[in-house]
Amino acid sequence: MNDTILREADAESETPRQRFILDDTGFDEVPKKYRRFYRRQSGPNDSLAPNEAICPVCKVVIRSTRELREGDRVYCMPCMSRLVIVRSDSGHLEARVVY
Amino acid sequence: MSREVHSLAPDEFLDAVHSFEFWFHSIQGYLANTEFGHRPGTPKEELPTDRRERLITVLCNYCVGETAALDGASGLIGFAPNRQSKIFLATQVVDEARHLEVLIHRLSELGVANPEQEIQLRSTRSLSLFRRRLIELVASKDWEAAIFAQNVILEAMEFAAFQSHARDADPITRELLEGIIVDERRHMGFGENDLGRRLALTPHVRARLLEVKRELDPLVLETFEEMLSELGVPRSERPELGRNYLATVERLGFGS
Repeated sequence: MNDTILREADAESETPRQRFILDDTGFDEVPKKYRRFYRRQSGPNDSLAPNEAICPVCKVVIRSTRELREGDRVYCMPCMSRLVIVRSDSGHLEARVVY
Repeated sequence: MSREVHSLAPDEFLDAVHSFEFWFHSIQGYLANTEFGHRPGTPKEELPTDRRERLITVLCNYCVGETAALDGASGLIGFAPNRQSKIFLATQVVDEARHLEVLIHRLSELGVANPEQEIQLRSTRSLSLFRRRLIELVASKDWEAAIFAQNVILEAMEFAAFQSHARDADPITRELLEGIIVDERRHMGFGENDLGRRLALTPHVRARLLEVKRELDPLVLETFEEMLSELGVPRSERPELGRNYLATVERLGFGS
């Protein structure tokens, strides 16, 4: 996704997190006010931005206004799941369900 | 501009999504301009006789699955453990009834004169058995087992089957299935998350659910196989489709 990127000092960490302005991508499965936080995967060549993660339950792309880091909490509204960002064995960040 | 959704507290989030308010504003996005599940201007594709016949058989079995979910979800409301679950299940009942209605309407569009009779004639033995067992679990007020059977096993299989079917379906059937798939995300997510929370608090329930899984897995897998065969999905691609279900049960701690 080509969201406008802003930079903002992050109080939680020494390295500033990238900030993102989220556009509506046409995702229509949740109420309007939440739509910009989600998008559909557009195929096998779809790559995730630093503010995005895939919901392991329903495969929708979850988006945040800030760069995601290990330990962040995100929600998937389309399937109503609560997730946490973790580092996988392969070293990538991914979302894992928290019950 | 709305507040960052991910900054909601967990209880705030659960309250927001288990509501008619959330459900109503969600379905408006993808159903507002449809008639019986598809846009009025969607082109009608003339299907060759054999493809039409196979589609009718598949849709009849989808109707059995949706009827099972409708009966199951409505029965579960009566002994749901809390307000959020009752409200969510009430929205699921409406979803399942809509699915049944649009599928029956599609059967009529395909020239089936008596859809109810056709469903009886074409339903598979395994799916009918699954439906009967689900209703028994609901009647026994076994919340965990019924939610597991309905919102995890059945919904995960339907989700995978509908996604696969939608890829190669005629335009009207595809739109109809895509609308159902969106609803299924909520149903599946509710099942997995509710059970996940319960299993974390009462791990002894796991052994009982494993028994339910052992009993019902073969019935759903058999149905899944039969439907995919009717749809002409090559045998080599079928394990890929079952992966969604296997990943779900693995997250819940039920290895295959």
